[in-house]
Amino acid sequence: MSRTPRGDADAAFELLAAFVAEIPALPWFVAAGGTLTPSAIADAEAYVAALGLAPCAVAPVAGWRAATEIAQRPDWSRDWWQAESAREKALHRQGAARFGLAPLLAALTDVTETAAVLRDRAADVLGRAGVEDEALAKVAGGAAAQACHQRALALLAGGDAGRAFAAKYALFAAGRWPLGIVGGTCFVF
Amino acid sequence: MSAISAAPIKSVDALKAAPEDYQLAVRKIVRSHAVNELYGARVYDEPAIALAPTPYLKWLTCRIAMEEYGHHVRFRQLGEQMGIPDAELTPEGRKPLSIFEFPLKTWEEFCVVKLLADLAEIIQVEDLMKCSFLPLRNLAKMTMPEEIFHSQFGKDTCTELVKTAEGRKKVQAAIDHYFPMMPAFFGRKDSANNALYRKYGIKQHTNEDMRADFLKRVRALVEGHLKLKLPEVAEAA
Repeated sequence: MSRTPRGDADAAFELLAAFVAEIPALPWFVAAGGTLTPSAIADAEAYVAALGLAPCAVAPVAGWRAATEIAQRPDWSRDWWQAESAREKALHRQGAARFGLAPLLAALTDVTETAAVLRDRAADVLGRAGVEDEALAKVAGGAAAQACHQRALALLAGGDAGRAFAAKYALFAAGRWPLGIVGGTCFVF
Repeated sequence: MSAISAAPIKSVDALKAAPEDYQLAVRKIVRSHAVNELYGARVYDEPAIALAPTPYLKWLTCRIAMEEYGHHVRFRQLGEQMGIPDAELTPEGRKPLSIFEFPLKTWEEFCVVKLLADLAEIIQVEDLMKCSFLPLRNLAKMTMPEEIFHSQFGKDTCTELVKTAEGRKKVQAAIDHYFPMMPAFFGRKDSANNALYRKYGIKQHTNEDMRADFLKRVRALVEGHLKLKLPEVAEAA
């Protein structure tokens, strides 16, 4: 975090530094495929609600092959993806207004560089499941890195506009992979 | 210009004792890779996330963008160690390749860019795998597996796309648009820079040789594998 400026932004950047430090220590993907706990269901419901979408069923995903198929289904919710994108853009604007664009981008770059290791974490879990699939490891690593980026944006923007990304990140932090809304169901692997 | 047989240069510190034109040559290559990896990520990989047709492909494209950006970071770090000013290691300070001047509009275009431009990148990086400046050789070895994956991604996605008539038409249109820019990617014929690179064993092949290798491999991919047509282009830049 050496490239980020100090001053009245200290608290936010310290929060972000703690978040970045936590990333390598989390149990990425280790709970994927397991029974959904009440806490995971609550996080998924909070995620959907905070995106401003209608409530929907939350469903588990049995394994990596099923997760791959769901993530490639054509009936994925464009509203879900657009709701995330709209919130990302709003948080980006708020963060840039709060700290300036260059410091914001420098901080987000630190997050992205730290999250680069998540492909390896996915590959490890896939390997233990007996699945050799480099593309899938990269897909999972990309999804997790995106969640880190979104959570960081929310932390830097402040306020509660990033509630959806906090709930989404909580699922990843618990070893899950939220696959989004497909066919009207929120799938949590 | 005949090649000079010399011991490899093992570190950035050792580079300081190398001939001035050797140092200059290495700087040019490191700068070019740092600038183009970043610009490519910005104008192709990041915008492609929005264009990708499924969450699976969106997340895979996120990862590819991160990897391309990561290549920039590695070349930039080497450049910084070599004392190249920061401003010269980003597109704002140096002009990127001309292929990047055409903004991405469709998913099919992105797949074709990965098919064509990442194959061209592989050929350039392969040439650095025996580079006499070992930090650059090591960087080439480090980035090569990801470059191979990106190129394979281009091949796999184009292979899927051409299974439909509409996809086939769009992939052919993207090839018609981007392929004519590719031969220039390898630099001018009889380039003085390239002669200097080969004199010192920084690079092994002429621009013409690498261009010919690219054309042979891309023809096999586009005409042999995808059963599409490569437009006629002037092979010498």
